[in-house]
Amino acid sequence: MLLIDRCRLTWPDFRAEYTLAVETGALCAVVGPSGGGKTTLLHMIAGFEQPESGALTLDGRSLLPLPPARRPVAIVFQDHNLFPHLTAAQNVALGLRPSLRLTDAERTAVAEALDAVELDGLEARKPGEMSGGQRQRVALARALVSHRPLILLDEPFSSLDPGLRRGMIGLVDALRRRRRITVVMTIHTPEDVMEVADQMAFVADGSVIASGPPGRVLRQYDDPRIGAFCGTG
Amino acid sequence: MRSLSHPGSLVALAILALVVGGFATLVLAGGEKPALLAIGPYLVRVLIFSTVQAALSSLLSLVFGAALALALARRRFPGRNLVVSALGLTMVMPTIVAVFAVLAVYGRSGWLAAGLHGIGIPVEISIFGYPGILIAHVFLNAPFVARIMLDALNTVPAEQWRLAQTLGFSPAQILRHLDWPALRGEVPGLAGLVFLVCFKSFAIVLALGGGPARATLEVAIYEALKIDLDFGRAAWLAFIQTALCLALTLALNWAIARPPAAQTVRALAVRPDRTDRGLLAWDSLVLVLGLLFLAPPFLSVLAGLAHVAAVLDADFARAFATSIVIAALAALMACLMALALGGAARRFRLAARMPRLAALYDALPNTLLAVPPFALTAGLFLAIRPFVDPATAGYILLPLINGLGALPFAYRFIGPRIMIAGERYGRLSASLGLRGLDRLKIMDWPILARPLGAAFALAMALSFGDFGVVALFGGTELQTLPYLLYERLGAYRLEEASSIGLLIVLVSFVLALLSGRLSHAAD
Repeated sequence: MLLIDRCRLTWPDFRAEYTLAVETGALCAVVGPSGGGKTTLLHMIAGFEQPESGALTLDGRSLLPLPPARRPVAIVFQDHNLFPHLTAAQNVALGLRPSLRLTDAERTAVAEALDAVELDGLEARKPGEMSGGQRQRVALARALVSHRPLILLDEPFSSLDPGLRRGMIGLVDALRRRRRITVVMTIHTPEDVMEVADQMAFVADGSVIASGPPGRVLRQYDDPRIGAFCGTG
Repeated sequence: MRSLSHPGSLVALAILALVVGGFATLVLAGGEKPALLAIGPYLVRVLIFSTVQAALSSLLSLVFGAALALALARRRFPGRNLVVSALGLTMVMPTIVAVFAVLAVYGRSGWLAAGLHGIGIPVEISIFGYPGILIAHVFLNAPFVARIMLDALNTVPAEQWRLAQTLGFSPAQILRHLDWPALRGEVPGLAGLVFLVCFKSFAIVLALGGGPARATLEVAIYEALKIDLDFGRAAWLAFIQTALCLALTLALNWAIARPPAAQTVRALAVRPDRTDRGLLAWDSLVLVLGLLFLAPPFLSVLAGLAHVAAVLDADFARAFATSIVIAALAALMACLMALALGGAARRFRLAARMPRLAALYDALPNTLLAVPPFALTAGLFLAIRPFVDPATAGYILLPLINGLGALPFAYRFIGPRIMIAGERYGRLSASLGLRGLDRLKIMDWPILARPLGAAFALAMALSFGDFGVVALFGGTELQTLPYLLYERLGAYRLEEASSIGLLIVLVSFVLALLSGRLSHAAD
């Protein structure tokens, strides 16, 4: 289980304090208005931001002392996930071995990861030769190949068209169920949340103001910020 | 039939007519002899020297500049922003001032010799020839290279730095996957540009070359015109230089024509290699060496502050006023030409849908980098000599040639912005019926005002410190500040030279800073 307990971060113009629990193998949709602190929450879990106080654990083990590379966390961003001078296979291989000197078993793992995101046959392509959806699949394959139990997806599909976006979210859902991976993902549309998320965390003004099953959060909370997100406020 | 008439077309034709007419006059004045065979061995010597010194200067500037850029990208220290700003300013450091600075530090009686003598090592230092030329070229170009490369390194998206953190990249892997891909795109363009600048180097080679045995084509043209009055030889040398530089300029255009770098959407992330101890030691060494190499010449110019009062005489006032007027006229011409050419390029690209023709207008300013200013000036001087006296000719030709020289830089500010104004608001303006001055006022001016200011200030800075064409016309009747500095250097009046150099640098730097401010605020 991922546990975030009163993790506080302070900047001159922004303060955040997060508390959240996500079950192992669950898909937690992080939603909320722009500038509310969704990305900061994901960056804190990944280790790019260090809280001044609070606790952050995964399956009982504290993540706070660990640098980003040592955390059992993989992350996919909205853009710039791939290095443009490397092929799709090399970009995936970085998740296993940054030196790119792979063993035969690791090469097989890379091929399997690309296969899992339905990109077999495109191993030798460079990012410039791929569509936006294909590039995000490569990034997802890299997250999978590292076998880290927690994957963070920071608005990974928001630049894709609606059909492709739903397809990618469906792929993530299928993969995490098959591999029992915990996923924390920022999502913009309530329909997507309702379709795939086990849990929803509504983030606004630097804190998780509501958390639980999506239906309950979206229907039961009487907060104008949630109403505005659903288009009913 | 789409109309090709546009003020920009007239300007383009006028520029071509000036260049072709200038060279044709020079050839005709050269008389009957096709002198290429006669100057063969001399030409080969000049070409070899020009190429070798330019290649060495480029290599050293690139290596030193890249090391400085990487060190600055990785480190934060008090005064770093000042250092980064100073790097960009060497672009407008007048070459004649750089000559003075190099002599003041590394010359026979410079600071280095004095320091060595002071600690009991009486070494006879002579920097004339390759050492002086390379030091001056690297002093001027390595900071510029570092600045451009630092900008390139800053375009690595923040997301990729975070990925590097997550994936646990080592310093070598960061260099391979993040730094090098960002720098690689800049290397061909920068190498070509620095090579071109050094290949055409004039003031530095003239003053530090140590004699006629070491001449670039530009110096050889100057010597043919000013000393030997051999117009035929000058014309041949000019043709060869134009052909070589044109080829290089075209290659440069090709090298620079690449997709724009990815822009990061958030503030820069922390570089994970910043904590590596080996890199910290290396970066410290690079920064200290950079400081030791770059700071003394700057300080030698600053030392001129002590003697400023001694140079503020009538000669100085006249030269200062002349420089300002010539620089302002040159900048005005450069901006007007850039506006006209940019307007034509926009019209042919957007309205007439003739992108290839538009590309020719875009390329014209850069091709002027290939034209040797001395040969062009001499040809134009010969053409107008029957109508005006030599002193007046100088006042006409200096702003014109300096304006043409500044055009490529002015166009880089203005050309793209004119296109942006058209792309964003062209259809809207057409639908609203905006034309002529109304269109200029409402559509173009808000987007162009600051880039125009930036272009004007930079063009003025480049012209103000220029010691090129004035070497042909300079004398008692026409004196600019750089010419006055050259005279004082020639008379070994180094204290006065340092003060004049300081004042030239101050004016150039203020103008360049103004240009930078205006260009950064352009968006």
